[in-house]
Amino acid sequence: MRLLTFLLCIASLTSQAQVKHTISGYVKDASNGEALIGATVFVKETGGGGVTNVYGFYSVTVPAATYTLEVSYVGYEKIVQQVSLEKDIRLDIELKQVAEQLEELIIIGEDENADKVQSIEMSTNKLSIATIRKIPAFLGEVDVVKSLQLLPGISTVGEGASGFNVRGGSVGQNLILLDEAPVYNSSHLLGFFSVFNPDAVKDTKLYKGAIPSRYGGRLSSLLDVRMKEGNIKKFEVNGGVGTIFSRLAIEGPIVKNKGSFIVAGRRSYIDVLARPFVPLLQEGGALNFYDLTMKANYNLNERNRVYLSGFFGRDNFLFDNNQGFSWGNKTATLRWNHIYSKRLFANVTGVYSSYDYQLQFGEDNINNFKWNSSISNYIFKPELSYFIDTNNELNFGGELISYSFEPANAVGTSNGDVVDASLARKYNRESSLYIGNSQKISSVIALEYGLRYSYFQYLGEGTTYTYNDTIPGVRKTPVSEKNYEKGETIASYGNWQPRFSLKVQVSEQSSLKTSYNRMVQYLHLISNTTASNPLDVWTPTSNNIKPELADQFTLGYFKNIGKDNQWEASMEGYLRYTDNQIDYIDGADILINKFLEGDLLSGKGRAYGLEFYLQRKTGRFTGWVSYTLGRTELQVEGINKGSWYPARYDQRHNFKLAGFYNINKRWSVSGDFIFTTGTPTTFPTSRYISQGILIPYNANDSRNNVRIPSYNRLDLSARLEGRTVKRNGKPRKNTDYWVFSLYNVYARKNPFSIYFTQLDKRYVNGDLLQSQAVQLSIIGSIVPSVSYNFKF
Amino acid sequence: MKIYSQILVALLIASVVFTSCEEVINPDLQEADAELVVEAWLNNKPEDQVINLMMTQPYFESTTPPGVSGAVVTVQDSEGEVMNFVEDVDQKGNYRWSPSIPGETFGIIGRGYALTVSYKGETFESVSYMGRVPVIDSISVIFEESSPFYPANSYSCEFWANDLPGSGDAYWIKTIKNDTLLNKPSEISLAFDAGFSQGGNFDGIAFLPPIRTSVNPFNEDADGNLVSPYLPADSIYVEIHSITYETFTYLNQVVVQTNRPGGFGELFSSPLSNVSTNIFNVNPKGSKVVGFFNVAAVSGLGKKVKEN
Repeated sequence: MRLLTFLLCIASLTSQAQVKHTISGYVKDASNGEALIGATVFVKETGGGGVTNVYGFYSVTVPAATYTLEVSYVGYEKIVQQVSLEKDIRLDIELKQVAEQLEELIIIGEDENADKVQSIEMSTNKLSIATIRKIPAFLGEVDVVKSLQLLPGISTVGEGASGFNVRGGSVGQNLILLDEAPVYNSSHLLGFFSVFNPDAVKDTKLYKGAIPSRYGGRLSSLLDVRMKEGNIKKFEVNGGVGTIFSRLAIEGPIVKNKGSFIVAGRRSYIDVLARPFVPLLQEGGALNFYDLTMKANYNLNERNRVYLSGFFGRDNFLFDNNQGFSWGNKTATLRWNHIYSKRLFANVTGVYSSYDYQLQFGEDNINNFKWNSSISNYIFKPELSYFIDTNNELNFGGELISYSFEPANAVGTSNGDVVDASLARKYNRESSLYIGNSQKISSVIALEYGLRYSYFQYLGEGTTYTYNDTIPGVRKTPVSEKNYEKGETIASYGNWQPRFSLKVQVSEQSSLKTSYNRMVQYLHLISNTTASNPLDVWTPTSNNIKPELADQFTLGYFKNIGKDNQWEASMEGYLRYTDNQIDYIDGADILINKFLEGDLLSGKGRAYGLEFYLQRKTGRFTGWVSYTLGRTELQVEGINKGSWYPARYDQRHNFKLAGFYNINKRWSVSGDFIFTTGTPTTFPTSRYISQGILIPYNANDSRNNVRIPSYNRLDLSARLEGRTVKRNGKPRKNTDYWVFSLYNVYARKNPFSIYFTQLDKRYVNGDLLQSQAVQLSIIGSIVPSVSYNFKF
Repeated sequence: MKIYSQILVALLIASVVFTSCEEVINPDLQEADAELVVEAWLNNKPEDQVINLMMTQPYFESTTPPGVSGAVVTVQDSEGEVMNFVEDVDQKGNYRWSPSIPGETFGIIGRGYALTVSYKGETFESVSYMGRVPVIDSISVIFEESSPFYPANSYSCEFWANDLPGSGDAYWIKTIKNDTLLNKPSEISLAFDAGFSQGGNFDGIAFLPPIRTSVNPFNEDADGNLVSPYLPADSIYVEIHSITYETFTYLNQVVVQTNRPGGFGELFSSPLSNVSTNIFNVNPKGSKVVGFFNVAAVSGLGKKVKEN
């Protein structure tokens, strides 16, 4: 009998040791309750753990035992906690921000445990808001997108370009999400500032490759911007006054520790300042931009949380009350997080997003011209994460997007006669399903693999055209048209997109990563100007325009150097083949053109390069160096005689340096230097005169056969922290700081484009037409600025 | 219209926000062989009609384009009538047709025209037709004390004409101020029906306001300030030329390629590319040719600007 009891006890003990339990919960910032994205929960005894998702949720499943948990996040003090695991535990952790020190801890990149836990990620860059705030900014205004441009693989064609290029992809191939809502034009004022208000942004992550299966829709990259939830513990006001615009953000609890909100706004006032000097602004003219970013969230109970975010931004260039040009984005997102069980986390998102631009001319109702264009969509996205065990995290879900395009709503009134030149609306639906798993095979090998399937439909009602077959490069004219009823499927396309990444931990401090991605893009940004601008049209896939496809391979070597991993170095190569790339015939007519598809050409692309990156993460002096050697080219029948030619944004050498130095407790300085090869352009070889006008002519039919001179620029800035004590010795409740910056320190006139034209004068019969070439720079001098920022 | 609005927007931004800078440069250009240029723009005005044959030049050579001598140039219409163009003795490259009877004009509305140029053993051909053209009803002179586009106390003009009913007419509006043809790239004024493009659907109505006011030059004085387009005692003569849809497309490309206001306008401009041609070598593998052939019917009206 005693033996039996003894044996039973042993048996039950052994079986208990096999039972697994889950530790799960949220990791948050102790001061304001913000969920920390990508925080590491490391289980010392197993050498593994988990990473918090975009909502701050983690889940780790291990056999029952006692463990030491290390919870850490860049810029925060690590918490070490003993946990005795006899059943499933819900453990929410709050981390304290590191107190300001001279020797600042890592502010860029991941903390030391991240690599051990998972970090299968490659080709991603994460910039914290703290780092972004330190980078010298144009006109002193901190900018999320401009800071990303200091990282390897990212470039732009120059000041004035609204958008950025990732690894030789075009501006329209970046998926930009603000709290899950797509943003179609991420720029204010033609690219000088982005629409993201740094006071409202919590986290930005850019994926240049190895995009997980839960995302799709663009070929080159994913910029995932997450808004702050708002201080759930107390009210907080942040703001700043600068030379171009001012910002104010108010956040606080709705119900303390249960719900919070944040409202952040910005408005430019250059038109207010310039009004006394510019008559146009006195007569109702306006030149301004503003944006409003809002979010509210509420914890219904331990398992349910609801978020509502919204964004509204507008740029206005008005001549007077009736005439001008404006554009902007509007987004609204409603999300519900539900924790089904300790291991199953779900998020359901509903999004409304729209982008539109409007032009209006004419001083009265008898003679005017109004034109607007918009794209709007509704999205429904359920996503589930199943944390199987410490070695497997399964993600699956779907996405349903309904698109409505209004390519042009144009009405002209001439002498009282109204004529409608509008183009018909287009309707589309994109449905996707995905499944993916992050798997840790051993302490040395980790895999992420997934599959996404998307199905795109072009729906009626609508009219489609088929075009004649002609010499490539010549405008195609419509030969037949067909009308469809509402809801009829006009054309449809289905695409499988496998995703795969592999990491091999070669040694404790170095790893080798490789990935393969297939991406599909159904919306195309039509832009045939030197740089993309707000008038560019988004056009959907149709019976004539095929979906764009991309296959990207990457291979990289990553190493942490020095004790405490003070240095991080990486070398990553990429190769991307693209198909169904859109280019334009010479003289394409892009705007308000019913037969736009006849002016488009389709071809192949290839982009390849090598990125080098070295970063010093800790110490009084931190910073990084990045160098990318790359090439991106296209091959289109009908352009450049069918041979490969460089894309408009091809920059062979792309070198960037960023440095930050803390002088003392109050002063810190930073600087950045950028050097990129000039972008390609087409030069003429010859000229002839037609009807008294000088025509430049390229007798070799080449495109992008030359490069404009290189782009290089140095910026410096200094930051002065406000005093921490008042005159009477008591500590100040509020914090503030000044930023002084110099943009383009050596005043280089970086060329934007070179154009060829006849000398501008009145030529009368017999005069000889003079040819000239003119080089244009958008910013040609040093631009100083001052801004004052406060928080209370 | 689109280009016009883009340029105005860009100018507004430039005037208020930043100063961009421009520099005239002299880059090295690739060399290329000279090609034949055929400029054949004929109309039904009571005067000699001249077709010019030239060669292209290297881009920076700002001399008179070399005329091409010894070619045979004829135009035949759809009724079989042949018009011969004879080379001027003193002017190389000019091939002239003169009316044989006083008052005779070239061309009849509605007929097709075929151009044939034979040069150095090669033959180049083109086809066009003479489209119809509306009469100009009137020209008004507007005096404005203040306006968003012109300086104070400006005189500007506007012509009044209706597009002919029936979609598909294209026109080129030319303005002559005091015997000078307003000929800058920014002054090329085109219309498809009463609007700007084929997709516009503006048929049979008065030309749209920006077209009606396209007869005003944008001139600047020595300081760079805009001056009044017209002053009392100036004379304005407006001509509407009918053009084919091909010519309309060609001239739009010419505007895109040559109308470069510079400054912030470059943000909206297209990169350089070649304009089209409707003249072809009968042998597709033979020498290349550029230029254009159009036969226009013209209607015109003039006015003298009087003090307000």
